[in-house]
Amino acid sequence: MNKHFFDTDIAWCPGCGNFPILRTLDKAIAAAGVDRRKLVLVSGIGQAAKLPHYTQANVFNGLHGRALPAAVGIKLANQELEVVITSGDGDMYGEGGNHFLHNLRRNVGVKAFVHNNQVYGLTKGQASPTSDLGFVTKVQTHGVVSPPFNPLAIAIAEDCSFVARSFAGDPKHLQEMMVAALQHKGGFTLLDILQPCPTFNKVNTYQWYRERVKPIPDTHDAYDRAKALELAFHWGDEIPIGILYLSKRPSFEEQQVVLSKGTLVGQYAGR
Amino acid sequence: MNLQLRIAGAAGQGVETTGDLLVDAFAGIGLHVFATQTYMSRVRGGLNWFDVRIGDGELFSGRRRADLLVCLSKEGLEWLRGEMADPGVILFNGAAGEGVTGIEFEQIAKDLGGSAIMANTVAAGAVLAALGYEVGKLEELLRDRFARKGEEVVVANIACVRKGAELGTAAAGKLKAPQPAGAPSGICSGNEAVGLAAATAGVKFVTSYPMTPSTGVFTFVAGVADEYGILVEQAEDEIAAINMVCGAAYAGVPAMTTTSGGGFALMVEGLALAGMLELPAFIFLGQRPGPATGLPTRTAQQDLQFAIHAGHGEFAKAILAPGTPQQCYDLTRHGLELAHKYQTPVILMSDQFLADMRKNCTGLDTSYRPINRYVIEDAGESYLRYAVTDSGVSPRALPGGEAFVVLDSDEHTEDGHITEDLEARVRLQNKRLRKLDGMKAEALAPAWHGPPEADHVLVCWGSTYGSCREAVDRLNATGRPTAMLQFAQVWPLDAGAIRPRLGTRRVTCVEGNATGQFASVLREVGALSDCEMILKYDGLPFTGEEIAERVTS
Repeated sequence: MNKHFFDTDIAWCPGCGNFPILRTLDKAIAAAGVDRRKLVLVSGIGQAAKLPHYTQANVFNGLHGRALPAAVGIKLANQELEVVITSGDGDMYGEGGNHFLHNLRRNVGVKAFVHNNQVYGLTKGQASPTSDLGFVTKVQTHGVVSPPFNPLAIAIAEDCSFVARSFAGDPKHLQEMMVAALQHKGGFTLLDILQPCPTFNKVNTYQWYRERVKPIPDTHDAYDRAKALELAFHWGDEIPIGILYLSKRPSFEEQQVVLSKGTLVGQYAGR
Repeated sequence: MNLQLRIAGAAGQGVETTGDLLVDAFAGIGLHVFATQTYMSRVRGGLNWFDVRIGDGELFSGRRRADLLVCLSKEGLEWLRGEMADPGVILFNGAAGEGVTGIEFEQIAKDLGGSAIMANTVAAGAVLAALGYEVGKLEELLRDRFARKGEEVVVANIACVRKGAELGTAAAGKLKAPQPAGAPSGICSGNEAVGLAAATAGVKFVTSYPMTPSTGVFTFVAGVADEYGILVEQAEDEIAAINMVCGAAYAGVPAMTTTSGGGFALMVEGLALAGMLELPAFIFLGQRPGPATGLPTRTAQQDLQFAIHAGHGEFAKAILAPGTPQQCYDLTRHGLELAHKYQTPVILMSDQFLADMRKNCTGLDTSYRPINRYVIEDAGESYLRYAVTDSGVSPRALPGGEAFVVLDSDEHTEDGHITEDLEARVRLQNKRLRKLDGMKAEALAPAWHGPPEADHVLVCWGSTYGSCREAVDRLNATGRPTAMLQFAQVWPLDAGAIRPRLGTRRVTCVEGNATGQFASVLREVGALSDCEMILKYDGLPFTGEEIAERVTS
């Protein structure tokens, strides 16, 4: 941890949904048995992207929108590292949208925990790709007119290895999802976390989400793509949380001849 | 003694195949070869040509006028017959005419081989015979090349060569061909040399978005990836490529991306990231004429200033610019070493001319000899990734060991965590920039060629090396004492070491751009006050004779 005066206080607002996400992540790392020495937290830019600085792990805090390609580079160089991305909706679905699309296809075994607060926090309150229609900001003065990006439906359409949603206001459920994600063996793992932003999003509040989130029943077969896709389109009065979709598709790493011989960093065999 | 041969035709007609076959055949009999390509940005049609210069001494550039022209298409004849030397020989895929020997390459191929594809073998046979060379070596090459495809294919190809030779003899005796001179039989191109050097130096991860003229390096590495243990991945865009390279470099493998101007422009933010995170990112930048899409398949040296200044903020980087395939090999390895020693990005600048340049090569080392990554393995709990040191280089540990390795693109303290402590900012920025002192001190000295006392010196960088060298030799042979100074490292520069080399001499900067970019760089660092310039930016490379003419005119 950083011990310098300027950095002793965390840069999040009181009541920020990032706090429970950080606390829950720490618990989930322990519960999933992840060795922090082998853990790399990768982030881009934004308030969520600061999370790696507030815990104990290896950290690659890169550029806005580019956490995903950096994480993929790390994972491919050394598959023995647990690579977890902690970034926001702007970072992952906006600036990094092209990387998101193509890494769903690529299916490298990195874990993306997306703090989705449906608003841009660090730049002070503009719309994000997941803002609801009609959401008014200082830029979208007449309200958002482009329908929200649906990351879960797109992920399922692209046969993503693991697709789940949770809510920062339900730490028990969130921890369960984080542990499942961390323990998932396979390709790209997406956990979209609904995160209230008390400063800039006065619509999608703790209360708003709490009234709507509904755990997916145990009877849901996560390998059923059509059912999963149907769940992914639920938004509004009822928002399903839980594991929507699992795929048996082989990961990118499993299909690389060179990686079957060990990690690239191990094969370097030089100083 | 040398001759310039030109094979021209539409894209898809086998111009490159014919050229490659001839290059290998000439080198196989011990001739010096210098080959290059001129092609249009299309998959079919248009007019492409492949130039092969052969000689009894080492060759460093091509010539504008061809002594022998092989035209596979009518357009080739129309456009290029005006670019012939006197006397010249033209072999045309059609009817004979005034000064034209007609050989129906495609019809013969269909008759003897059952396919128009073998027109290139007919043409190669005709060229050898027109120059008075035996076709034995060519037949041997074809046997090796097509052995896998079965005896029938081999026999058909050899029949095509012999028929071509029989008809080519009609044009024999007009040109005096150079005698074999024991030149190395191996041939390699600039792009192949970069790829081979990267593979043997221990690059384990290569990711790129294809873009002419850099793609040849990417495909070469993909071709040897299984042999050397390299992961090759086509990126969704250049932004992904450079960020993946940064990730892989952080995790400890030498990593590289290949691109050209427009793609490099997209990478620039990632380049600054490598500077800030202090990662050894290696970028192959194959230039072509811009701005924007420009002339996608032609050559230029237009991105030097852009590369030097690429990236927001200030950080250390090195830029190398080889002039021959051999230099491509040596400097790729050196550049990777440099990137790791100083933990900062290094760019290797080539261009279409050098990418496609083929020359005899004396056995490039294909053995795996990984470079030193300069990593430490004993980092403990108190490890600081960005420990402030005199050299500016901090001990580099890899993630996964005892120490947490923390990197941040925000300004950070020595432990890598985000900070807005402005004193720390200055301390860390000074540390990062101090690396430039070491890089300047070990900058590759520019190479001198020509008489030491010459009072006129041509300054060049990158692919202009060979043409300049030939120009210098021509000028000295005609009694004009001239030398040249080639910069294989163009950034950072040690001005103190350059000034005495130029002294009070007359200086002419020879560059493939419209503004004299390297001359500006030399002035900027205080290595040069005034100079003349010979510039070219029509998309074609300089020839030695052209530079010599412009010096004397």
